[in-house]
Amino acid sequence: MIKLQMDNISKVYGKGNTSVLALDSVSLQVKAGEFVAIVGPSGSGKTTFLSIAGALLQPTEGRILIDEKDISNLSPAKLAAFRLKNLGFILQSSNLVPYLTAKDQLLLITEMAGTRNKEANVKAIHLLESLGLKERINHYPESLSGGEKQRVAIARALMNDPEIILADEPTASLDSNRGREVVEMLAREVKTRNKAAVMVTHDERMLDVCDRIVRIEDGKIKEIVLSKEDRTLVNI
Amino acid sequence: MFLALRELKHSKLRYFLIGAIMMLIAWLVFLLSGLANGLSSDNGSALKYMNADSVVFQKDVRLFLHRSILPMEKVDDITEITGVNNAAPLGQLTVTSENINDSSQIDATILAIDPKSFLAPKIIDGIGLDEADSNSIVVNDSFKRHGVEIGDKLKITPSEKEFTVVGFTTRQTYNHLPVIFMHIPQWQELKFALPGSNANIENPISGIAVQVSDDALLEEVNTEIEKTITDVEVATRQVALENLPGYKEEMGTITMMLVFLFIIASFVIAVFLYVITLQKTNQFGVLKAIGAKNSFLAKNLIGQVFILSVFSIFIGVLLTYGVAAIIPPEVPFSLDTSLVVIYSFVLLAVSLLGSLLSLRRIAKIDALEAIGRAD
Ligand SMILES: Nc1ncnc2c1ncn2[C@@H]1O[C@H](COP(=O)(O)OP(=O)(O)OP(=O)(O)O)[C@@H](O)[C@H]1O
Ligand SMILES: [Mg+2]
Repeated sequence: MIKLQMDNISKVYGKGNTSVLALDSVSLQVKAGEFVAIVGPSGSGKTTFLSIAGALLQPTEGRILIDEKDISNLSPAKLAAFRLKNLGFILQSSNLVPYLTAKDQLLLITEMAGTRNKEANVKAIHLLESLGLKERINHYPESLSGGEKQRVAIARALMNDPEIILADEPTASLDSNRGREVVEMLAREVKTRNKAAVMVTHDERMLDVCDRIVRIEDGKIKEIVLSKEDRTLVNI
Repeated sequence: MFLALRELKHSKLRYFLIGAIMMLIAWLVFLLSGLANGLSSDNGSALKYMNADSVVFQKDVRLFLHRSILPMEKVDDITEITGVNNAAPLGQLTVTSENINDSSQIDATILAIDPKSFLAPKIIDGIGLDEADSNSIVVNDSFKRHGVEIGDKLKITPSEKEFTVVGFTTRQTYNHLPVIFMHIPQWQELKFALPGSNANIENPISGIAVQVSDDALLEEVNTEIEKTITDVEVATRQVALENLPGYKEEMGTITMMLVFLFIIASFVIAVFLYVITLQKTNQFGVLKAIGAKNSFLAKNLIGQVFILSVFSIFIGVLLTYGVAAIIPPEVPFSLDTSLVVIYSFVLLAVSLLGSLLSLRRIAKIDALEAIGRAD
């Protein structure tokens, strides 16, 4: 089943002769259980791509469907509600709320959705345990290591049972061993829970964990590499 | 409130500081309001708590009782007017009294009354003005602090006349001076000692206190009195009080301080919250990215301000009543509970107002700011 479908997405920043074409008619489909990495040089449009896929930014042109629902024309308030219900985000280093314990980071999601109850509490504890954070449930971010923080972020992204998980350089602040551990955990969760995931990364060493690698250059998708089973280069 | 409470708990020092500032401001506001009330009572509690609705003055004396002279017969004329329930004569004179036991001098205001009228003061000790003894006087209880006791004789200088204290009343001051209640004829001898000083008026008094039968018709009755009786000017009790020398200036100064305190409170909260909000811009961006609505974030901020303010104001109130309990009686300080309640709510409103700037800032933060950033 296709969870994320982007058809001929273009994004232009600014107007007139200062305008920047950040994405140029990009198309991509991600299925449930699929883990896609996005790579490319700086300024190539990766963050822009992820923002559009994450319903944070409206494309200038093109159509985007998440779980078969067209979100191209939703209002900002509706988009916020949509993100809360259907998407999970893992951002760069500082994406946890500093004054919440690991468990409260997860419960915040249910609090915002108005569904915080005993079950949510149990679920939060289970999620943290499955990411090896059993001993860290009541710790604040300040007393967690970088890797542990990102694992809490993964747990938080899973808390609302999202259709899609979006990660923006989740390993940027980690050394390569910790980074790899985090990406592997993310991949494992994606597989076992049958979610779709898109991750922007600079770190080429993580790529073998992913199912597909999409290379963006100058706002265009240059190539798609199928990893693991089939490593043939697909040129578009 | 999910975020509000947890943040208050986690960043204790930060919010303790702002809470402490608010508490101090609240404390100062309440102390000033107590002082304002105390000064207002001190200046004219005899008028403030007088059992009358209006005071009739001689015309064109700018409602100054010490310059006003009216003939006694006008008391009866005024009583005749429809809407007037009762009227009573009033004499006023500022004097220095001397306790002949120890020659200590006490400045005072004489209010001369008819002991049978509604102006007779409430007696807390001893008896009221003795009709049999024309030299009897009733004095404010603050005379006790100067060692005056019932039966003591006071000499009113420079007349050399002596009067006997037969009773004490309370909360009776006029022009910041304690009041001596006296029979009218004895007061007339003191006030009009110089020949011609009575402006050729037989049986002169200073003013006339009036009780109306219906408070709603107060203004109409006052106009009626001014129309019917020649050469008089009528003021409500409140206006007469505000017209005491220095009253408006004292109250104006304190009111100005209070207004500034409210503005300062608002600004302090606004600046403090704004700085915190700016610091948390990225955090708000992340929260918005994961789906927080503006209303959710706004509720939490307002919740924080509310909890903080209620707490600080409450402690401010406690401290104020603590001070009130130990403040010496000569200090003009008296707390008006209803004013304390009102100012508490004003302070609360003012601090919520201070959060507006931050709310606007939060509403403007874009979830996109959280993406593609590592700080
Ligand atoms: N808000 C904006 N206004 C104008 N131009 C923008 C804006 N955001 C991005 N751009 C431009 O769009 C292009 C793509 O930017 P984007 O942030 O998507 O690149 P990126 O691949 O994420 O780069 P990096 O690897 O450095 O994070 C760049 O040329 C950038 O300058
Ligand atoms: Mg980027």
